[in-house]
Amino acid sequence: MVDSLTKQKEEMAKFQEAEMLKHLDLRYKNEIIRSMEWLAEKDDTIFLGQAVNYSGNAMFNTTKTIPTEKRIELPVFEDVQMGMSLGMAYEGVVPITSYPRFDFLICAVNQLVNHVDKMSIISEGQYQPRIIIRTSIGSRIPLDAGEQHTQDHTQAFKNLLKRVHVVVLDEWHDVFPAFKHAYERQPVSKYDSLVTLLIEWGDHYNAK
Amino acid sequence: MNIPSHLKKVKEVDWTIEELEDFELECKKEWETGEVLGPVHLSKGNEKELIEIFQYVHPNDYVYSTWRNHYHALLHGIPKDWLMDEVKRGRSMKIINKEHNFVISAIVGGIIPQALGTAWALKQKGSDRKVWCFIGDMGFETGEFHLCYKYAKNFDLPLQFVVEDNNLSTNTPTNETWGKKQEVPDDVIYYEYERGFPHHGSGTWVLF
Repeated sequence: MVDSLTKQKEEMAKFQEAEMLKHLDLRYKNEIIRSMEWLAEKDDTIFLGQAVNYSGNAMFNTTKTIPTEKRIELPVFEDVQMGMSLGMAYEGVVPITSYPRFDFLICAVNQLVNHVDKMSIISEGQYQPRIIIRTSIGSRIPLDAGEQHTQDHTQAFKNLLKRVHVVVLDEWHDVFPAFKHAYERQPVSKYDSLVTLLIEWGDHYNAK
Repeated sequence: MNIPSHLKKVKEVDWTIEELEDFELECKKEWETGEVLGPVHLSKGNEKELIEIFQYVHPNDYVYSTWRNHYHALLHGIPKDWLMDEVKRGRSMKIINKEHNFVISAIVGGIIPQALGTAWALKQKGSDRKVWCFIGDMGFETGEFHLCYKYAKNFDLPLQFVVEDNNLSTNTPTNETWGKKQEVPDDVIYYEYERGFPHHGSGTWVLF
């Protein structure tokens, strides 16, 4: 009797979830997943950061379909992660380096601003490393994650970064072309940077 | 000075102490003309140690250095005429040479995460090349060193640290600010020396 009730409850929950998903527009999230899967097909890419291999943040749901050998779960050392991505890129690796919230990317500002952003200038174009940096403005709906998890620092980063391309992914149809461009674009001068900071909206993962 | 037993000599160094000193004296002369419109950080006092260390550095290895990099550059095979031209152009603090896998940063500890990333990439490729990371005594005390040393050791990455201890960060005594210095791990090359020139410049008043 108890087993039968439990089974009924489980079936009802599955039904309700399926009904709910019918009404959600997941194009934004699906386009990110499509972009990650497209990038994962490239021999030179690697995905690294927190929540690339283990759940804990919405960003994980956009990388979980990527082969595990392409994902490196890192300790929490954001600035080292950024510098590490740069050091990998010198050897031709294209890191897709993930910071699940903009608030966490703040901890990587030294390597991002002083090194990643300046390398093509300092080296006079000898090194033009390609790095794809992902971050997300933390979701406020339906749960507001609070002051330290939901900030939008886009304008501040546009002011700080001289060469890194800063791209905000506002709409679902922006997503795939932006990631593709980040991987494929060529330098227009020796001082150009091939590093792109792509800013996602956490609130759009389940709404657009 | 300790050389870890796992390291093997790979070459003879064709620079003498006097030749290294002469190069820096030529830089000093150029600096004092007032026509070098960028800082110079001259080396003196650690020639013997570096000549010994560079017998273990393969020409194809990466060398990461700092603002005080002339000796490292010369001993890693960078042509002295190229280096002198860079110094004359005011680029002493930006000596980067991709052909010789030579990268520097003018930020304390800035190279350490990058060296870690390059070591990761080399191991991933199955390369037998190493990454040599030359840092000062203040860099050795930073969080970046602790994080990257631990990660490199735990994942057996080909990253060799060399600590050059003149007990000064610019003109701040490292031991005084930290109260004392940390223990030196057995697998880190460490030597002490007395700085032969000021932090930057030559000690002579120059009118620009």
